[in-house]
Amino acid sequence: MRVWLYLGIAVCLAGIGAVLHGAMPSSRDARIVQSENPEDGKVTGGVFVSDYFNLSYRLSDELTEGLAGPPPSQSGYYVLGTWTPKRDFAGTVLVVAQDMFFAPDASDDVKNVVAEFRQVMSAVDGMTIDREPVPVSVGGHPGYRIDFSGVGLFRSTFVIEIRCHVVTFNLTSRDTVSLASLARSLDKLESVRKGEMSDPAPECLRDYASENVVRRVEPEDVGAKAVSIPVRMIVATDGSVKHVHVIRASAAQRRNIEEAVRQWKFKPYVKQGHPVEVETGVMFNLKPTNM
Amino acid sequence: METIKLARARTLAGLAAMLLGSVAWSGAALAQAVSNPTAGAATANANTAAATADVNADAAAANAAGRGQNSNSSAAASRAPTDPGVRGGDPGAGGALPGLNDVERQYFDVAKEVFQEVDAAADGLGPTFNLDSCSGCHSQPTIGGTSPATNPQVAVATLMGAKNVVPSFITANGPIREARFVRNRDGSPDGGVHGLFVITGRSDAPGCNIAQPNFAAELARNNVVFRIPTPLFGLGLVENISDGALEASLAANAQQKRALGISGRFNRNGNDGTIARFGWKAQNKSLLLFSGEAYNVEMGITNELFQNERNSDPACQFKVTPNDSTPLVSENTASPSASFQNDIDLFAAFMRFSAPPTPASVTDTPVAQATGASNATAGQTTGTGTGASTASTPASTASGATSTASSPTPTVVASATADVSSVMATAAGSSTAQPSSSASSGASVTRGNQVFSNVGCQACHTKTFTTEKSPLTGQSNVTIQPLSDFALHEMGAGLADGVSQGTANGNEFRTAPLWGVGQRIFFLHDGRTKDLHEAIQQHASRGSEANAVINNYNLLSRDDKQALINYLRSL
Repeated sequence: MRVWLYLGIAVCLAGIGAVLHGAMPSSRDARIVQSENPEDGKVTGGVFVSDYFNLSYRLSDELTEGLAGPPPSQSGYYVLGTWTPKRDFAGTVLVVAQDMFFAPDASDDVKNVVAEFRQVMSAVDGMTIDREPVPVSVGGHPGYRIDFSGVGLFRSTFVIEIRCHVVTFNLTSRDTVSLASLARSLDKLESVRKGEMSDPAPECLRDYASENVVRRVEPEDVGAKAVSIPVRMIVATDGSVKHVHVIRASAAQRRNIEEAVRQWKFKPYVKQGHPVEVETGVMFNLKPTNM
Repeated sequence: METIKLARARTLAGLAAMLLGSVAWSGAALAQAVSNPTAGAATANANTAAATADVNADAAAANAAGRGQNSNSSAAASRAPTDPGVRGGDPGAGGALPGLNDVERQYFDVAKEVFQEVDAAADGLGPTFNLDSCSGCHSQPTIGGTSPATNPQVAVATLMGAKNVVPSFITANGPIREARFVRNRDGSPDGGVHGLFVITGRSDAPGCNIAQPNFAAELARNNVVFRIPTPLFGLGLVENISDGALEASLAANAQQKRALGISGRFNRNGNDGTIARFGWKAQNKSLLLFSGEAYNVEMGITNELFQNERNSDPACQFKVTPNDSTPLVSENTASPSASFQNDIDLFAAFMRFSAPPTPASVTDTPVAQATGASNATAGQTTGTGTGASTASTPASTASGATSTASSPTPTVVASATADVSSVMATAAGSSTAQPSSSASSGASVTRGNQVFSNVGCQACHTKTFTTEKSPLTGQSNVTIQPLSDFALHEMGAGLADGVSQGTANGNEFRTAPLWGVGQRIFFLHDGRTKDLHEAIQQHASRGSEANAVINNYNLLSRDDKQALINYLRSL
C-alpha cells in the first residue's frame, strides 16, 4: 500500500515537473520561440541573438556589450546593439535597423542606401572613402560594404536588408588591423533557427493596409498633443491581425492602438496560390483629446 | 518708464535675473544638484552614480588616466584632454544685429535697458522668484548670455531683509539654477518650476508671510532637478528659420545619422503644429512666449501672456495684475517705438535684435596665424573655418560681419573678432595645456573643426542655416551657424530629468546650440560641469542617441580630443 502511495507521489511530482518544464522552456527552447519585435535582441553568454531578425552573432573576445541605445524612434529606427572594447582593443561595433515602412526617405533598397551614405560621408571634411561600395554577403543576407576613414578613425559599414528593415553594421577602429578583425567577426553571423523547423518570415508589404482592410476600428485619441505613431502589424493567413507592435507611444496610446488594431480584418494575402502572412505598417495620426 | 528709473536708481546690477525660462533640467538631479560644478565633474548622488557607471570603459579609463599627458601610444588615446577654459576675446555678442537701421537700433537699446532692470515687489516681483532681473541670469560673457562666474542668487536671498535660506544646490561659484520637482507628493507628475525664494521679510513686501519650498526635503526624496539659463544671443535669427529648413536639416544626412544611432524629432506646438525651438526642451514656441513665461516663472511678474499669479496670496501682492501691461501713454523712452511696449515685448525684442556670438578667428594659413596674434582689426570678416564666406562690404564692424539690406546672396553674420590664441586662455583653476603659439593653436582649432564633423558631432549640432525674409533691415536670407538642429534627442539616463514638456519626454533634450560655447562657464542643462571633456562624456549613458559618437570620441588620439576641445573653445 505504501509502495503505491510513494509511486503516486512520484508520478505527481513528475507531472508537475513536466508542466514546469513546459512553462519555462530551456534556453535552447527559448531560442526557437520567435520574438516578435525588432528591438528584442539581446546578448546572453557573449552571443547576440535577435529572433526577429533571425540573427545570432558571437562577440569577439575583445568586445563586450556597450551602453544600450535609445528606444525605437518615431520613424521606426532601432539601435539593436553596441559593442565596445573590453580593454586595449581599439574598435567598436554598432548595429542599427531602419523599418522600411516608416523611413523618412527612400530607404527601400540597400544599394540606394549605401550610395547615399557614400555621398554623405565623402562630403565630410577630412573623410576619405577607402573602399567603394562592394556587394557582400553577411549572415547569408546580400548587401554592400563601404570603408572610409578620417581623423585617425577607420570605419566599415555593412548594409543589408532583413525582414522589412535595412540593417547596418557599423565598425569603427583606430587602425586597419583591428578594423579587419572586426570585419572578419561578421563571418560569425548565422541564423538563430539554423537547421530547425520554423515558420517563414511574413511577406513585407509596405502599404498593404491602405487597400486591403475590410474592417477597421479606429483607436481613441489619447494625450494633449497631436502625434504620429508608427505601428507595425502581422496579418495572419486568415486575414486577422496576429501581432501588433506599437513602435513608439505612451502607455495609454499603445493600449488604445493595440486594442483597436486587434479588431481589424484584412483580405488574406495569397502568393502563388497559397495564403501567406503579411507584415506591414500603418502610421496613426492621433489628435489631441482636448480639441 | 517707472521701472527704468527704479533700475537706474539701484546698484544691484549684477543681481537680477531670470529668463531661466528656457530652462529644463536634469533628472539626475538631486545628486547633481548638490554637487558643486566648480569642483569639476559632478559628484555622485544616486542617479548620477548610476549614470556614471554606465559610461564605457574607455571613458572611465580616460578619467582615471588623468590629464595633461601627451603620447601617441594607443593607451594615450584614452587620456583626457584639457579644457583650457573660457576663452578671452570679444564675444561679438550682446550688441544689436549688424545692419539694423537707426530706428531699429534705438529700439534695441531701450529693450536692452529694460532687460537689465532690477524689479522689486512694487513692480510685481514674487511672491516666489529665482532672481530679480533678466540680465542677472543672462550675463556671461555679457548681457544676454548665461550663468556668470559669481552666482547672484546667493545675495538676492537676503536682499532687503529677506530671510530666505540659500538651498544647498546654490553656491557662490556655482551656476544659476532654477529648481523643478519631478513629482508631486501624491506621485503624479509635477515638472514645474518652484521658485527658490520668497519676498517674505523684504522691506518692500510688508505683511507677506509665505514660506520657501522645503528644498531639503525634496532633495532627500531625490525629487529635484535643475536648469541653468540658456544664452539668448542671436535668437531672432533662430526664430526666423523656417520649419521647412529645420525639417530638411533633420532629414539631411539621414544615412549618416543612422550609422551613428541618431534619429531625433521636433517638439511641435500643440496649437498649430509648428516647430517649437526655444528652451532646453524646445518647449517654447516663440521669443515672446519665452519672455512671458520666464517673467512670471523666474521673477513672479505676471504679464499679458501669463496673467495670473502663481501664488495668489493677497497679502503678497503689491501691484495690480497683470504686473506688466502695455502702456497706453508714452513712456518717453529714447525710442518712440518702444515707448508703448510692455516689458515682455521688449525682452523679446532684445533677443530678436541681438547679434549672434562671434567665434575666434580661425584661418588655415600659417601666415595668418602667425600675424594674427594681435586682435583682428575692425572690419575683418574672416570665415569661421566652416567654409563661411567673407562679408561683402568693407563696412563690417568689429562685432561681426554685416549684411547689406538687399543682398540677394546669403550673408554670413557670424565672423571673427577674437584671435584664436585666446582660445588657449587659462581657465580659472585649470592647468593649461600650453599649446602656446597662435600658429599651433590655429592648427589645432582647424583640426578640431574636422574632428567635430568626422566623429559625428555635427549630425545634431548642425552647423549652418539660412533665415527667411525678415522685417528687420538686413536680416533676410542670413546664413548663421548656431550648431544645433533644434530637434529633440534621447539623451539617456545620465542626463534625463524626468520632466515632460510639450512632446518632449523626460529623457529628451533639444540639441544645445554651441555658438558662443567657448565663453560659457557651465555646461549641460543643469550646469553640472565646467569642463568640456566631461560635458562631452556626459552625452553617453544608457539610452542615449549620442553613445556611438562618444564611442568615436573615445577612440580618438589625445591630440585629436584636445583639438576638438580647442575648436569648441574657439566658438
